[in-house]
Amino acid sequence: MIVGVAGLAFAFVANQLSPRGLNPGRNYHPGGEKADPAPQTAKAPSVSLTATNSRPPAASPEAALKERLEKNGLHLLQRDEVEKLFHDARRQQDLLMFIDARDEDEYHQGHIPGAYEFYHYYPDKYLADVLTPCQLAEQIIVYCTGGDCDDSESAALFLRDRGVPAAKLFIYGGGMTNWEAGRLPVESGARDSGSIRNPAP
Amino acid sequence: MRRPLLPPNFTALDAATVLVRWLLGGLFVYMGWQKALHPDLFQDLLREYHIVENALALNFIAISLPWFEVFCGLLLLAGIAVRGVALLLSAMLAVFTIVVLHRALGLQAAGAVPFCSIKFDCGCGGGPEFICAKLTENMLMILASVWLLAGRGRGFCACYALAAKPRI
Repeated sequence: MIVGVAGLAFAFVANQLSPRGLNPGRNYHPGGEKADPAPQTAKAPSVSLTATNSRPPAASPEAALKERLEKNGLHLLQRDEVEKLFHDARRQQDLLMFIDARDEDEYHQGHIPGAYEFYHYYPDKYLADVLTPCQLAEQIIVYCTGGDCDDSESAALFLRDRGVPAAKLFIYGGGMTNWEAGRLPVESGARDSGSIRNPAP
Repeated sequence: MRRPLLPPNFTALDAATVLVRWLLGGLFVYMGWQKALHPDLFQDLLREYHIVENALALNFIAISLPWFEVFCGLLLLAGIAVRGVALLLSAMLAVFTIVVLHRALGLQAAGAVPFCSIKFDCGCGGGPEFICAKLTENMLMILASVWLLAGRGRGFCACYALAAKPRI
């Protein structure tokens, strides 16, 4: 009993002191439940598991995602739409912006060129750089890894709750995995570092 | 006068048990620390279990469990409140094992793949692991905790050294 209480006290103090500590009172995923990821298997790497036996299967993961986003006033985009927006002249004028909702390491390994970094778990670190451009932009495309990742949705909802109109917020469901699969330009390092893989012709 | 670190009649079995205690303590410090470094990723893995949906309860687990494991591991390494810690760890490990097994069975049923070929990150701190290896590891840790709970491994215990009366 004493060990349990002391352990909990230790945990909460350590969390408060840790720079990566979480806020106990915040809902980090207001979008709702997370989809089940596909596990790796020893013999059958192509097996894709999207639902456990305890829950009814959705019509399709994409349809379920679209329905869920629309419930929160957000919009889902496909790669061809995102690619078109990437080449839109408004991007150069910051009227159209991309937001990468993955963590710092993933962002630095490679992101859509010019994308802002915004990892919603630690918003204070990024909010000052992101919020003003969000207010000025006409359209904001938020993405994360893709697949079962819902950090883009959580980031978009966080921004919506900070006053960014939901009508401006679009989710690129395929995310970085889908973007890279299309051999589209990828920037590594900091934003506008100029280090681009697969540069556009 | 120096206080003795070893109890009287310290045997080879006691020495082995001390090593088990240190190993278990070290494992818990390592696994807890891995999660404490990235509580965001740990919380995300917890969500995949679909057991706790309430945001505050999820935060509570994601915040407390990693550091709690570190705390228990440190107590085991130092040899403080060993039996109390062993009792807590046995209970925690039993719950973790059931939860991980339940998830693995769900994944197996959904994918129709052999049970032992299921590999996923259970959020235990060791990254993606094959389920059979994970369950074996957990069973060994439960056995070690129960062994310590039985009162073994008191050598090199801070509590013992503190409690021992100096010989005059």
